Amino acid sequence: MDCYTANWNPLGDSAFYRKYELYSMDWDLKEELRDCLVAAAPYGGPIALLRNPWRKEKAASVRPVLEIYSASGLPLASLLWKSGPVVSLGWSAEEELLCVQEDGVVLVYGLHGDFRRHFSMGNEVLQNRVLDARIFHTEFGSGVAILTGAHRFTLSANVGDLKLRRMPEVPGLQSAPSCWTTLCQDRVAHILLAVGPDLYLLDHAACSAVTPPGLAPGVSSFLQMAVSFTYRHLALFTDTGYIWMGTASLKEKLCEFNCNIRAPPKQMVWCSRPRSKERAVVVAWERRLMVVGDAPESIQFVLDEDSYLVPELDGVRIFSHSTHEFLHEVPVASEEIFKIASMAPGALLLEAQKEYEKESQKADEYLREIQELGQLTQAVQQCIEAAGHEHRPDMQKSLLRAASFGKCFLDRFPPDSFVRMCQDLRVLNAIRDYHIGIPLTYSQYKQLTIQVLLDRLVLRRLYPLAIQICEYLRLPEVQGVSRILAHWACYKVQQKDVSDEDVARAINQKLGDTPGVSYSDIAARAYGCGRTELAIKLLEYEPRSGEQVPLLLKMKRSKLALSKAIESGDTDLVFTVLLHLKNELNRGDFFMTLRNQPMALSLYRQFCKHQELETLKDLYNQDDNHQELGSFHIRASYAAEERIEGRVAALQSAADAFYKAKNEFAAKATEDQMRLLRLQRRLEDELGGHFVDLSLHDTVTTLVLGGHSKRAEQLARDFRIPDKRLWWLKLTALADLEDWEELEKFSKSKKSPIGYLPFVEICMKQHNKYEAKKYASRVGPEQKVKALLLVGDVAQAADVAIEHRNEAELTLVLSHCTGATDAATADKIQRARAQAQKK
Amino acid sequence: MAAHLSYGRVNLNVLREAVRRELREFLDKCAGSKAIVWDEYLTGPFGLIAQYSLLKEHEVEKMFTLKGSRLPAADVKNIIFFVRPRLELMDIIAENVLSEDRRGPTRDFHILFVPRRSLLCEQRLKDLGVLGSFIHRDEYSLDLIPFDGDLLSMESEGAFKECYLESDQTSLYHAAKGLMTLQALYGTIPQIFGKGECARQVANMMIRMKREFTGSQNSIFPVFDNLLLLDRNVDLLTPLATQLTYEGLIDEIYGIQNTSEDFFDKLTAEQEFMSGVDTDKVNSYIEDCIAQKHPLIKVLRLVCLQSVCNSGLKQKVLDYYKREILQTYGYEHILTLYNLEKVGLLKPQTGGRNNYPTIRKTLRLWMDDVNEQNPTDISYVYSGYAPLSVRLAQLLSRPGWRSIEEVLRILPGPHFEERQPLPTGLQKKRQPGENRVTLIFFLGGVTFAEIAALRFLSQLEDGGTEYVIATTKLMNGASWIESLMEKPF
Repeated sequence: MDCYTANWNPLGDSAFYRKYELYSMDWDLKEELRDCLVAAAPYGGPIALLRNPWRKEKAASVRPVLEIYSASGLPLASLLWKSGPVVSLGWSAEEELLCVQEDGVVLVYGLHGDFRRHFSMGNEVLQNRVLDARIFHTEFGSGVAILTGAHRFTLSANVGDLKLRRMPEVPGLQSAPSCWTTLCQDRVAHILLAVGPDLYLLDHAACSAVTPPGLAPGVSSFLQMAVSFTYRHLALFTDTGYIWMGTASLKEKLCEFNCNIRAPPKQMVWCSRPRSKERAVVVAWERRLMVVGDAPESIQFVLDEDSYLVPELDGVRIFSHSTHEFLHEVPVASEEIFKIASMAPGALLLEAQKEYEKESQKADEYLREIQELGQLTQAVQQCIEAAGHEHRPDMQKSLLRAASFGKCFLDRFPPDSFVRMCQDLRVLNAIRDYHIGIPLTYSQYKQLTIQVLLDRLVLRRLYPLAIQICEYLRLPEVQGVSRILAHWACYKVQQKDVSDEDVARAINQKLGDTPGVSYSDIAARAYGCGRTELAIKLLEYEPRSGEQVPLLLKMKRSKLALSKAIESGDTDLVFTVLLHLKNELNRGDFFMTLRNQPMALSLYRQFCKHQELETLKDLYNQDDNHQELGSFHIRASYAAEERIEGRVAALQSAADAFYKAKNEFAAKATEDQMRLLRLQRRLEDELGGHFVDLSLHDTVTTLVLGGHSKRAEQLARDFRIPDKRLWWLKLTALADLEDWEELEKFSKSKKSPIGYLPFVEICMKQHNKYEAKKYASRVGPEQKVKALLLVGDVAQAADVAIEHRNEAELTLVLSHCTGATDAATADKIQRARAQAQKK
Repeated sequence: MAAHLSYGRVNLNVLREAVRRELREFLDKCAGSKAIVWDEYLTGPFGLIAQYSLLKEHEVEKMFTLKGSRLPAADVKNIIFFVRPRLELMDIIAENVLSEDRRGPTRDFHILFVPRRSLLCEQRLKDLGVLGSFIHRDEYSLDLIPFDGDLLSMESEGAFKECYLESDQTSLYHAAKGLMTLQALYGTIPQIFGKGECARQVANMMIRMKREFTGSQNSIFPVFDNLLLLDRNVDLLTPLATQLTYEGLIDEIYGIQNTSEDFFDKLTAEQEFMSGVDTDKVNSYIEDCIAQKHPLIKVLRLVCLQSVCNSGLKQKVLDYYKREILQTYGYEHILTLYNLEKVGLLKPQTGGRNNYPTIRKTLRLWMDDVNEQNPTDISYVYSGYAPLSVRLAQLLSRPGWRSIEEVLRILPGPHFEERQPLPTGLQKKRQPGENRVTLIFFLGGVTFAEIAALRFLSQLEDGGTEYVIATTKLMNGASWIESLMEKPF
């Protein structure tokens, strides 16, 4: 393995640094990097270049070109810069390119050079122009810091939610600071700037002078400063060629180094990683690259070409005209395994596996050695971890093979870490491919998360790869495939050269009923691009009416919205559309629309019944719904009118409507009601008392009770009350009055149409047995027994029952035989029964 | 835990706990002391899922009934309105909010819509200028409330009237939502059967809603094998008859004074109708009831029963009854009579054909030999009459509806079957002798007698099916007719 560590460079005693190639770049750069504004996004992000014609005195007649490349140098966009002079470029966390113009306007472009939006950094910036600008990242998002021509700073900590903050003045500042940077402490962005030998810290309230502890004497100027990826550390390069490294809080010094080069470096960036052994800074000059840390010696590289440094979470990317490299501190697991003469368990396991493949018995020896020390689990873990840090797939494989080999000798090694590493590496190798060009390390990938990685693939329109990854990792559809397809569809609707039909069909073919896809979101995007027809077509595929309807209303397709709302069955949605339509259409059109939608019509009728009675009437009129109109007038006759004439008029309208509805019965009944109402009015006038709104039956009863028999008779005749009911009525009324004499007279007026049992019953109800008995004798044979029992004449009831030879009657009488008094009767019945059975 | 909900095949406590959790979560959203202002209609249903102690645990200190003008004084941080989404209630709420004393301590207002948020209501609140006063506007999907181990009700008083009289499907929508909630907790129901227009609509809505939810695949093993959706208007007869089970009787005679004699006469008349005796003539018992001005509901119930048992009355007979009723009880009842006609309870016979005997015979609705002590058939619940609705359920489970196609065609509305495909992992492999579980949903109400009949079927040893019953409302003939009555003054 000697050759494997050939590119390892020790820094001090504790750490090694290695630099390896990510890509050989075959981008066709027309300009030298040094002539360009350069911005490379972290996490293996894209690179933007803009030849800077404004820096030189040359006539700016030639418009520069803004070019965007993937990290592997594939062109993503190229556009002619037509706006104002640009001072600085930078990428936001969402991989949007921010171009800060001299006038303080920031133009925002997408990865593919698509213009997104712009915003201004304020009037003060506009007036004093931008001298320098930085794009920085915090946990809240991406910020912009501006140094103006008046040597004042303005910043916004999050361009997504633009709030401009003008930083306090630095007292006595006459010229631009020699260098400056943004810091982020306690979730607040600060600015650290160097003026001559002094350092100042600006927070939003004050400007304070600061001094780095342990700074070597003799500094008259700071040439460069660098803050680490996580804002934890700060490095200062002085005009004496001295580098101070410490915490960003300026409370602690980590180390210092004297490189004896007084020339200002082109770039200085931190090169560390989470849990680094060493804190190191990479300094670049024109042709020299130096890694310095807490060690007397530095590591030096020669730069053959004009190069650019991109700090990352766990190292530094360095790209030039022809290559793209990664420089980092060798991770612990790799170091343990590959360090020359390492006896670490992982190293032994890797050896064992190799011997095993050679079918050599040494494999067993190595393995035994690890097992004897009880370090096999650790060995497997080391190999898995180290595989993650390898860039070359062959090395990854050989380490994973070793891990897999070692696993065989372990009883219960949980397989997850191994499986997950295999999966992660597959994903990483796929995206590192130069066609994709996202050279993420394992640590960066874990920090970024798979969701964000998928978003970035989507941003690059690498939909198939994103979907393959989702499927491979078996991500839930809603988080994975569906989301990506939805993004794809949103991109698709922007392709204006494709017809609405084709786009809609293509989208539906791909998306189908994929769970979690929101067709309405896609439709909203289409509508946003001015493609209303396409939006409507897409909404057809949206299963959720709750989503369809508001967008349709927004697009002024209210009638379509109505039918969608109706389809959903959600009545609230229907009402919402209806009220919308009511305001949008004139009354006639609105009614016509309703007419074609019976469900909506009935709902609207219900609404009107409670809220707008007059409209209800209009609706019935429009539909020639005379039956309902009739009912409407009936209700109206009770509702408002107090005067009889008003009520009668309403009833007349009702009757007319009923006639039109060919409901003769209702019409006649209503006419009867009018007649009765008038009559009741008259009765009140003539007799006093209360009659209006009594039923006909109760009116007659009241008359009988009041002793107005004649009038009662007349009324009964006029309204053709059936005889039977009239008899019941009179019977009940007279019994209530306990007018027994009149009752008897009435009973004899003619043959009772209801028989005489009711007379018996009603007298008994009034506890008048004497009167009851009178009628009992007149009760017909079928009910005789019942009548006799009612008046308590059990013996006679028995006789009648025996005479009738009716078993049911006999049983009934028997059940009334109680106590000694009826014993004889009971006997008699039993005998009669016995006799009947003999026959 | 509510023990009475967990004894059945399906543990309805799961549903109760789910709705209680949702309520607690909402209450906790409104931090600090609270007063609840109740839409009075909701207190009953809420009582079944959350006692005052639960509310108290979540800092509910006061409870008021929703009414106009100013809210009563209460030293609380939050005022929460628990309301149905109805416009008239929004007006009252707005009045409450607007008359709030500005000088007093500021209180936070919230609204909890039960069972659904409504754009319409929010628009009304907006128009009244109070929408912004509410910090939380949430919905509480209390659709199906567990009553018993095998019984769920939406307690929606007006459901039948809305569906069949006013063509308002709101309660059907809620029913479909309720069924979706149920499926979320108890798994997708693989088969849906139905009979009736409303049943068809609910099934359509469910299928639609399922498409809306496709993202979250239900991975719960299905507890129910079938869902049977039944329109109340497929069986208008059953609720009209007097229920003769213990619970049913209590329900029937509660608050009604009746002599036993009269009760007997009434049963005789009912049984004659149901067994098909003299259904085409004016019935003298009904005549006498009218003449003696017995309660109108009782009369209407009998007339409707006769009409249903005769597939409508002869025009002459119908007009006679109507005239008698109008003259005796007042002409205003013309509206009620019209309502009864509109829902099909009262109607003229069309085509001069009485289909009831065919239905009665095919479905064996009338059994002459009933053993009420040791029943062998569901007809014991009406002393001879087997409820049509339950017979349909019984025949569906065995031998299947194909055997009664002809009768199904006579009964109103379509009958249908839908399958909801399950992933293979969730398909049930029935053990031999293991009963199916059918959820039967009565759209428009169910009576205690029908519940008793279904419970009887569940208990049959060789029945093969156990039932869980859901409904829009627990009802009886009287409450049903009353809901259709219209009193203009």
